[in-house]
Amino acid sequence: MTRQFKEILIKNLFALLAFVAVLVLGLIVVFLFREGLPLFRLVSPGQFLFGTAWYPTYDPPEYGIWPLIVGSFTVTLFSCLIAVPLGVLSAVYISEIAPAHLKNVLKSVIELLAGLPSVVLGFFGMVVIAPWLQETFDLPTGLNIVNASLMLAIMAIPTITSISEDALYAVPREFKEASYALGATKFETIARVIVPTALSGISTAVILGMARALGETMVVLMAAGGAAAVPESLFDSVRPMTASIAAEMGEAPFRSGHYHALFATGMVLFGITLAFNLIADAISNRFKEVGSGTL
Amino acid sequence: MEKDKIIRAKNVDFYYGSFQALTGVTMAFEKNRVTALIGPSGCGKSTLLRLLNRMNDLIDGARVEGEILFEGRNIYAPEVDPVEIRRRIGMVFQKPNPFPKSIFKNITYAPKLSGVHRKSDLEALVEESLRQAVLWDEVKDILDRSAMTLSGGQQQRLCIARALAMKPDIILMDEPTSALDPISTARIEELIDELKQRYTIIIVTHNMQQAARVSEYTGFFYIGKLIEFGPTEKIFTNPSVKQTEDYITGRFG
Repeated sequence: MTRQFKEILIKNLFALLAFVAVLVLGLIVVFLFREGLPLFRLVSPGQFLFGTAWYPTYDPPEYGIWPLIVGSFTVTLFSCLIAVPLGVLSAVYISEIAPAHLKNVLKSVIELLAGLPSVVLGFFGMVVIAPWLQETFDLPTGLNIVNASLMLAIMAIPTITSISEDALYAVPREFKEASYALGATKFETIARVIVPTALSGISTAVILGMARALGETMVVLMAAGGAAAVPESLFDSVRPMTASIAAEMGEAPFRSGHYHALFATGMVLFGITLAFNLIADAISNRFKEVGSGTL
Repeated sequence: MEKDKIIRAKNVDFYYGSFQALTGVTMAFEKNRVTALIGPSGCGKSTLLRLLNRMNDLIDGARVEGEILFEGRNIYAPEVDPVEIRRRIGMVFQKPNPFPKSIFKNITYAPKLSGVHRKSDLEALVEESLRQAVLWDEVKDILDRSAMTLSGGQQQRLCIARALAMKPDIILMDEPTSALDPISTARIEELIDELKQRYTIIIVTHNMQQAARVSEYTGFFYIGKLIEFGPTEKIFTNPSVKQTEDYITGRFG
């Protein structure tokens, strides 16, 4: 075997392995669309997306997922309101302010938070938060937007913190020195130089955190209440898309309208997550810095 | 004579953890003059420079003994705010380090921190600083472009302009031309010559010709000690210590 032949062999082997991942993703997408698209023989895409009645098991069935979309976005946005400030500020604290020993402790605790199984969080929401919410605010149920958002926020924080922290860590030391040498305090340096320089990475972190919250299933299945109606207050129950798919797939007869509707919901979810990732990508490319002191 | 000394080190020892980087350094810097600090790598000259505006505070485990008197006041006294000191003693670094912001915002960074917010004041400051740094003609039409788009030499002059905008008394330069090409280096050296009319300049350099060209006084450091300090002409033509002579003639270092 010549050396050149070996090189070619190795190169192609690696290419093949890399393409396996792409292939798998491609096949999943094909499958998703093959099972989802037949729904549109029964209802139009407009009726499906914006119809406000989700009664897939009635006769005649109604396949409007607008309440599910609203449910997903409400819990995602509300959880981000909690998770973004907490996540980003913890990242700032860990990377810029905390003393070295505390830094390591905090980092591992946050990583541990990421390793918490979502079913445990859902359980916590169900058994601890829900009764508390119900009693404190005198609600018919404690399984609602607030509860699910709180649990989702806990899940999104590690993603947001660790990606933001990487971005903050990557801010060149030279920028910090320049700022201090110009008579800036630590706070001014963080607010005017470090965070702005890391902003693209922080935005990516926020969007990926949102994508994580949007795609999360178990927590919302257990803690969001499951009412397929457009919510009127933050204490209403909702049924996010993921929860709906997970709860109903088991009972939907194979290749029935309901079955296709759930796959079509999966398509919508896939589209939204894809869009989030593309936005995150675009942001991190757009603000990419040329680096310091290029000669 | 005594009045002309703007900043002086008195018996300064400096430690990074348990490593002693400076031993018993005593020297005084004259106002409106250029003083060069030379010596082989690791001799402590940059450490001394960074002590003069308390930049070494940022290093964990750093410890200073002795006094650094700026206008007669010890800048390491407990009641002294390092931020205040850094506003009066500017610094230019080895690698050009403009912020990834517009040229205009780079210059206005320090003035804004000290409370200048009127647009007309800021514009005047930007022009004045860039003119002093001999960069105005090259960038006056692109002030809102990112500083990262400038060449290395232009970036370094921008960093000098940025330091000038806070109207310091002293400018510390830490090997400001070591990352630049010969033409940019020559321009920075001309600039240093201009700036000494108004500012006191202390420059660390590895380039001995540069020290000889730009400075009035030179201090030679070796293993954390100030070996010899005096008028540049004397240091380079008739040094009184053998080690200085050996270094300058290229026998070591």
